[in-house]
Amino acid sequence: MSIHRYARLLAAAAVVLLISTGCGDGSADNPATGGAKRVKIALSNSFIGNQWRVEMENVFKAACAMPPYLEQVECSIYNAGNDVSTQSRQISNLISQGVNAIVINAASTSGLNGVVQQACDRGIVVVSFDNTVDAPCGLTVNTDQVKFGKQLAQFIVDQLKGQGNVIMVTGVAGTGADNDRNKGAKEVFAANPGIKLVGEYTGMWDSATAQRNTSAQLPGLPKVDGVWVSGGTDGVIKAFAEAGRPMPVFGGEGENGFRKYMAGILTPKVVGMSVGQPPFLSVISLELARAVLKGERQKKSIEIPFPVATSDSLKPGETVFPDLPDSFFADFTDSGPNATVVLCQNAATDGTPCPGTLKVNLGS
Amino acid sequence: MPDRLRRLLSGPASLGYAVLTATAVTYLLVYTTNLGHLPTSFDYLSILNTTLPLVFVAIGQSLVVITGGIDLSVGGIVAFCVAVTATRVHGSGLTPFAWLLAILALGTACGAVNGVIVARARIAPILTTLATLSIFSGLALWVLPVPGGSIPSGVRMVLTNPTVPTGLIWLSLAVLGWLVLRRTRFGMRVYAVGSDETSAVAIGVPAARIKIAVYALSGLCSALAAVFYVSTTTAGDANAGGPFILTSIASVVVGGVAFSGGRGSALGAMAGAVALTLVIDVIFFAGIDPLYQSLFQGLFLVVAVLLGTGAALIARARRGAL
Repeated sequence: MSIHRYARLLAAAAVVLLISTGCGDGSADNPATGGAKRVKIALSNSFIGNQWRVEMENVFKAACAMPPYLEQVECSIYNAGNDVSTQSRQISNLISQGVNAIVINAASTSGLNGVVQQACDRGIVVVSFDNTVDAPCGLTVNTDQVKFGKQLAQFIVDQLKGQGNVIMVTGVAGTGADNDRNKGAKEVFAANPGIKLVGEYTGMWDSATAQRNTSAQLPGLPKVDGVWVSGGTDGVIKAFAEAGRPMPVFGGEGENGFRKYMAGILTPKVVGMSVGQPPFLSVISLELARAVLKGERQKKSIEIPFPVATSDSLKPGETVFPDLPDSFFADFTDSGPNATVVLCQNAATDGTPCPGTLKVNLGS
Repeated sequence: MPDRLRRLLSGPASLGYAVLTATAVTYLLVYTTNLGHLPTSFDYLSILNTTLPLVFVAIGQSLVVITGGIDLSVGGIVAFCVAVTATRVHGSGLTPFAWLLAILALGTACGAVNGVIVARARIAPILTTLATLSIFSGLALWVLPVPGGSIPSGVRMVLTNPTVPTGLIWLSLAVLGWLVLRRTRFGMRVYAVGSDETSAVAIGVPAARIKIAVYALSGLCSALAAVFYVSTTTAGDANAGGPFILTSIASVVVGGVAFSGGRGSALGAMAGAVALTLVIDVIFFAGIDPLYQSLFQGLFLVVAVLLGTGAALIARARRGAL
């Protein structure tokens, strides 16, 4: 009978599937089962597949392999893609697994509210960063994007002594971060009557797009004294250099390429300020979760200052990395005496631990 | 083997059932080896509540695929209805439920637009629904530019109660609805149009009207999915619909619905939808490196489909030999 055959075939398929997944399980379980009483903290990330997210996960991985986290925390990492239901399932499973804290970069700021509330109800500490979760019971670790816009604009105004033509290269329209950054910049420019905004176009937070759009706009622009860039700064510089224009003052993101121009590693040397959304937000969130679990800190959200670098303060190996690609985000580590966290290059490129103990300064 | 079981195993939804059984068993196994106990009611309930939206979209998608079409606009309709649900459904008592009915009507209307373009203007379903996908997604952004909104807790308690499996009621209603629909004259005509439209028209089946109704039903299913989505997540997001396009098509494929039309069952697609959700959990507990998660999800799809085609081929070859 063909029916019997069909049923048997499907049963066989079921067994094959069973065995194959069963095997995968055994081998992956080993590293997690050592150690005494460590707290379990999981990172639930949405989309992976751009430089920033890769660095963000690498520094998290590196931090977990460094003391004090090595002895105190058992880490795990999950990616969900930009699919809310996948991330929601993963968080439900983390709840079942009995983790103590979940660190989230969300696929949707609102879509995880239900499951995050369920986690909170079970006493799990939830910390979200970058693309944060709205649920009021969760903690957040983030930067103030309006300040980003203001700080770069103020630097340009100061450098130009309040007189000159500026242009703005904006990010991806319709996102919260783009709106906030532009708003902050415009407030500062508007408060300085000597500053004239002569051009505004999008660079889509992408160096190639920023370069193309700048090349297209430049012929129609008067003399430009200052450039404010929301992302893709090295592309804008390349477009100015190719057009043979004199180099204006730049306020831009944390791209390594931009900082190479600022440090004079690439020519022409550029005067500028580089500020960016730091990938180490994941490490700050890890520390906040750990500290809350250990009772060392109150359950309170934190806002961290942007890591800032200017052309005269750049140090190779600390704030600019000559042997890393231009697209790398050089702000994977903070610097200076009040640094939030200092990480080594390998942590960002491979997720390998840096020597020594990791100190994270959450402020008071 | 009892007669009924035999029919179940050879029926149009058998691939879906087999894949679902395999993933469910794997899930139980991986879960138990990992945590040392069987899944708790929390696990079952959260699986149920997160799967419901996809189950509904998969039902609608399978209806369209059975007529030989495809509906890419489900993503747009879900997004649009999610946006409207999260921003407009307020109040207490019966008011929010009246709003929910209005949203179901809205989804049905969106689907009917697809149907009219496909059936009357005779534009290929893939083109039509690709275009309306953009339109509905745009409308969603217009209604809800940034993620947010809310849903009254009364609605939540009835639709996807986080402590009582109310979702089971809605799931059973969906199954029942399909079983009834399948046996009506309309249900049979859907299959007739899908297997051979020309012959169907020749014997007097109003193919255009059937198609419009099927796309409208798909719109209704997307609206249902949207309502359940907002109920589980407690808020809206204009980008909520996107993932449903591929996952609903994948559910239909795993559920054994033929893309040539005329063969398959919404029950298979429902089983496929649940299986796809369970795969996420299996991958989670199997401890597969996060970087390769989507690779394994894709492999699962390919294997499921290959098994289905292989089984069908063997069955046909044997039938030919006899």
